[in-house]
Amino acid sequence: MTRLLAVIERDLKKFRRNPVVLAMSVLMPLIYLIIIGNSFQGKLKALPIVVIDEDTGPHSRRIVENLQAVAAGPETITILKMKDQQEALKGVREGKYKAALIIPSDFSRNVVLKSRPSVGLYLDNTDGISSETIRGTVEGAVRASGPEYVSIRETAGEVRMRDINLYGKVDYYQSLVPGVVIMAIFLGAMTTGAFNLVMDRFLGIDESYLLTPLSKAHIVSGLIISGLFITTLIAFFILMVSMMITGIPFSGEPGHWAAIFSVIILTTLGLLSMMFVIIGRINHPRIVGILSGFLNVILFFPSGAIYPVASFPGWLKTFAMINPEAYAVDALKSILFKGADLSSVSHDLAFLLVFTLVMMIVAISAFKRTVS
Amino acid sequence: MQENKAIEVSELTKKFGALTAVDNVSFDVAEGEFFGFLGPNGAGKTTLIRILTTLLKPTSGGAVVACCDVAKYPERVRREIGVVPQAMTSDLDLTGYENMDIYGRFYGMPSKERNERIGYLLELVGLTQRANDLVAAYSGGMRRRLEIARGLVHRPKLLFLDEPTIGLDPQSRQNIWGFLKKLMEGDRMTIFLTTHYMEEAEELCRRIAIIDSGRIVVMGSTEELKSQVPGNDSIVLTVDNINQELIVRMEKLPFVHKSSVEENKIRMSVDNGANNLPGLIDEARSSGAKVLSVSIHEQSLEDVFIHFTGKSIREEEARKVSFLVGAGIPRKWGR
Repeated sequence: MTRLLAVIERDLKKFRRNPVVLAMSVLMPLIYLIIIGNSFQGKLKALPIVVIDEDTGPHSRRIVENLQAVAAGPETITILKMKDQQEALKGVREGKYKAALIIPSDFSRNVVLKSRPSVGLYLDNTDGISSETIRGTVEGAVRASGPEYVSIRETAGEVRMRDINLYGKVDYYQSLVPGVVIMAIFLGAMTTGAFNLVMDRFLGIDESYLLTPLSKAHIVSGLIISGLFITTLIAFFILMVSMMITGIPFSGEPGHWAAIFSVIILTTLGLLSMMFVIIGRINHPRIVGILSGFLNVILFFPSGAIYPVASFPGWLKTFAMINPEAYAVDALKSILFKGADLSSVSHDLAFLLVFTLVMMIVAISAFKRTVS
Repeated sequence: MQENKAIEVSELTKKFGALTAVDNVSFDVAEGEFFGFLGPNGAGKTTLIRILTTLLKPTSGGAVVACCDVAKYPERVRREIGVVPQAMTSDLDLTGYENMDIYGRFYGMPSKERNERIGYLLELVGLTQRANDLVAAYSGGMRRRLEIARGLVHRPKLLFLDEPTIGLDPQSRQNIWGFLKKLMEGDRMTIFLTTHYMEEAEELCRRIAIIDSGRIVVMGSTEELKSQVPGNDSIVLTVDNINQELIVRMEKLPFVHKSSVEENKIRMSVDNGANNLPGLIDEARSSGAKVLSVSIHEQSLEDVFIHFTGKSIREEEARKVSFLVGAGIPRKWGR
């Protein structure tokens, strides 16, 4: 018993004498609560939908009013009216809107004539959760606009909704793949690069190369490049395996792979440089361990990998705007599910490039070439 | 003849908060000299070496090492010097050869020259047979030998050794001393060494500075330093109880020059110890003390140290511990 108590006491004492670790292990779960609570809400909110009402008749207006009621009440969707059908579809393809509802010009007439009136819903189906919700909501609005009583024999008068999936079918399982790849990149970036510097410092080995003519840039970029090599290999392996498991079709197009390659490399570089900025001066691996869990949560959950960014509250949306993982997820989703090429994910790549450069400059200038 | 200076230190001071680790230190080391800094742990040796090797910035004062001022042109200084830090700093996951090869590349050495140099150095430190084993499989002495060889790979003009034999067994220590001497004879390199082992300083260094609490207490060649201590032998008398009368009577003896007391030991500098020892013991007995043990030896650097600092070299370690992250950092904060 005495022996056991001694083991326990030794451990507790060490823990108590590490107040940073103690404070972080108390604070971080609370931050998780806020982040996860807001990025994983029970109900989706504020999914952006474009409505093109070419009819503007009484019946089409009723559908629009029903949708507006949903937008005002449960706030599941937000509605934007537009005239140009092409522009609306372009917006959906670019990810600005989650869906476009098109009410054709002969809609009200067909309702009156009972000659199979129909509306079209173009869905961004790459985001499984939000596309199902939108389908349900719009369907409800369309049904409620119809006559209250439809006799069984008069089905010809019932309004039908044709929903058009813009892309090949993506199931929930498949929609997680970009997130999993980003998480593999995160873990790779966390355990290579700057972490090796922390370990060298912890073991007192850093002194040996600080004494040589190596410059700050040599040390920082050298560690980043070796981390890039390892992490990229891991990320590609994970991507291949998870594509096989979930049945995402492999494309034979080199442009497609060039785009995937660019996203993975830039994301890895960005995260590796960011790690240098965050843990570059830490000298104990235990602190890195705690930070690692923390960073994973605050970067991954608000990245849109699982829940759509559109549903986040404003402050979390703002955070997603500077979260490199959000851009990486968006780019990978576009490439894997929408068949996007390098040019259509260029805005994501541009952000990742700028992010990487800024972080690398900060990392190099913040790196200390002396021992404390 | 004007000797070229390898190291010139003037009024160098380093403070860590309220603590003055190096206190207004000035000295020169000539090219080709084997210079030693001798002092107890915590005397400021490691801090000094870290300033001279550009790892720390001095609070005030300056130092020129090899070619340039360490604070102004650290990158130039780093190209000229080889350093073996006190802590073991070789990579455990690499082989001995790989450790040296990568280190040589840090200095931009071409591969052929590197290969030859590594072969020569591994032979010199007796690690040729183990060159392709992981350093993790090395003993402490082997690892230290590898690190000294690694510090020499780029043919530095100046080699810094911070406590090169600390924690090693006597055999490994002899081994390292052996090839450091070989190095001195062969390459006419300047070597700057810190140590808290008297024998090490005596065995290797041509000139020594004794440092205590951040200050240089005395500096000179081993012989010069010894000649400043009166007498030629040192006698340590251990008695059952020490009293003032005993000490006074001892010091009155004509052949006793100086005495100092530590616990129940009286340490005396004497002339011709072997002849005078019986007289000394008789004197102690007649003053009523019981002599428990006696030791006599020729005066060494240790007696020099005691003569100048008034105490024997002691183990004393102060480490800066961060309040926030605790003591988890196994780094020697030599001061």
